[in-house]
Amino acid sequence: MIDVIIVGAGPAGLSAANVCAKNGLKVKVVDEFMKAGGRLLGQLHEEPDGTWWNGIEEAKKLSEDAQELNVAVECGVSVHNIKQEKSYWKVYTTKGDFKTRALLLATGAAETSLPIPGWTLPGVMSIGAAQVMTNVHRVRVGERGVVIGINILSAAITRELQLAGIEVSSMYLPGKNIVTEDAAKPLSTMKSMLKVASLAPSKLIRLGSYFMKYESLQSLAVRFYPKNGMKVWGMPVHLRKAVLEIVGDKKVEGVKVAQVDVNGEPILSTEKFVPADFVCIAGGLYPLVELAAISGCPFQYIAELGGHVPVHNENMKTPIDGLYVAGNITGIESAKVAMKQGAVAGYSISMDLLKTDVNIEDQLQQAINHVKQTRNQATIQFHPDIHSGREKIHASFKNTLRTDI
Amino acid sequence: MRDHKTIICRCEEVSLEDLVRTAESYRCSSRELKLRTRAGMGQCGGRTCRALVDSITQKCTNDSTPHDIPLGYQAPIRPITFSIMGEKKDE
Ligand SMILES: Cc1cc2nc3c(=O)[nH]c(=O)nc-3n(C[C@H](O)[C@H](O)[C@H](O)COP(=O)(O)OP(=O)(O)OC[C@H]3O[C@@H](n4cnc5c(N)ncnc54)[C@H](O)[C@@H]3O)c2cc1C
Repeated sequence: MIDVIIVGAGPAGLSAANVCAKNGLKVKVVDEFMKAGGRLLGQLHEEPDGTWWNGIEEAKKLSEDAQELNVAVECGVSVHNIKQEKSYWKVYTTKGDFKTRALLLATGAAETSLPIPGWTLPGVMSIGAAQVMTNVHRVRVGERGVVIGINILSAAITRELQLAGIEVSSMYLPGKNIVTEDAAKPLSTMKSMLKVASLAPSKLIRLGSYFMKYESLQSLAVRFYPKNGMKVWGMPVHLRKAVLEIVGDKKVEGVKVAQVDVNGEPILSTEKFVPADFVCIAGGLYPLVELAAISGCPFQYIAELGGHVPVHNENMKTPIDGLYVAGNITGIESAKVAMKQGAVAGYSISMDLLKTDVNIEDQLQQAINHVKQTRNQATIQFHPDIHSGREKIHASFKNTLRTDI
Repeated sequence: MRDHKTIICRCEEVSLEDLVRTAESYRCSSRELKLRTRAGMGQCGGRTCRALVDSITQKCTNDSTPHDIPLGYQAPIRPITFSIMGEKKDE
């Protein structure tokens, strides 16, 4: 029997593992990717104070600590099922089945797609795939591409592609259909870009802080948004142009682009062909909750957290005995928040398994405060109302317990 | 407009047009939409189209998103071989 199994070797999972191991627990981490670090491995961006966030370095630090603490980290292993038995969890993996007293799910997030005609052609990929190819595998995704979907994630990754010497000729909205609707509206796209972060293209922000104050100015800004886009890092960002179709014979050869009205409806007479040999689609992120869903854990739909999330409290405990969650599975936030949440889960598990130690309780409280501080200072925020989302999910945990009695 | 050309489920090749037409005629749940069109029933297990199918259902029926996950998950949550599934060994 293992004390703790952690699914996911991202910032949340590794941080939790290290805390558990420091407290003397026997820990095993499994991850289906071939390298530990989760989404950290792709991250490289400049903070507003001019320092750089280098995810590969952060992942390396976490992995080295894990190694020193004798945490067993196994990569290339998928967990395909989990079951609660009387006093333990059974974890089914592609390399054997294991019993554990506590189970932490730190499976991170998945990407939402934006389906438009031609998106199944070779050469079309999610923006996250482009990030992994560029920063992890060091493979060139193409010579000259376009990005569809304007949001905080695509802005950050497009910049990474540029830094790697890959040309992105433009960023566009997706052509509007029933599924892409929300991402296809110029005004709501602009608003969300203005709110989310300092990482957002700086010019948009500068323009934005002025327009932010006045609702009426925002729609004016969209109405008079330059036809040739606004240049950010030398690349035009088009809030008034959408990709209606991706075209190519056996692979991507380009995109059909048209101007759109303020509601995102295309003006067909303006349709033009723009050549490209790769296309990145960026529809945003949602918590990856598959394992929590088959565990029988109750769920809440909370838009501010990115979708359906397993019910849990500030200690990262679910209402199910021995089942914990941390990181993006609990809501979409930056890697720094995920790390702090992982530490909370680590203390929480240690306290439950070791029971007696009062010391851990103080550390747990401190770790919870660190999550809040980090959240307040976050430069990357995926949703402007993250705080209210957190309050809602914690309240739902209390309600779940109440109805159980 | 171009919905017949927009594939939603790659594995089963179901278009946006098919899904919207079915959702509008039957005003059905995501699960029923899946069973009627086979969207999400291919070999990837709906890992790409699940969220899209859910959003089509919601928009066509004008429902708000329920707290329970509309399209349930079932183990195994990854495609695995029969030999892995049949394995009886513990630890
Ligand atoms: C494409 C993409 C780009 C992002 N870019 C940024 C960015 O630039 N800056 C930022 O702050 N945040 C970014 N994020 C948000 C990111 O999710 C967090 O920064 C952080 O990595 C979340 O940490 P985590 O530990 O919760 O999950 P992750 O880092 O995602 O780690 C989860 C791990 O779980 C593993 N896993 C999942 N399911 C299973 C299973 N069934 N069996 C075995 N292993 C499994 C995965 O392989 C993965 O390694 C990005 C997210 C994505 C998806």
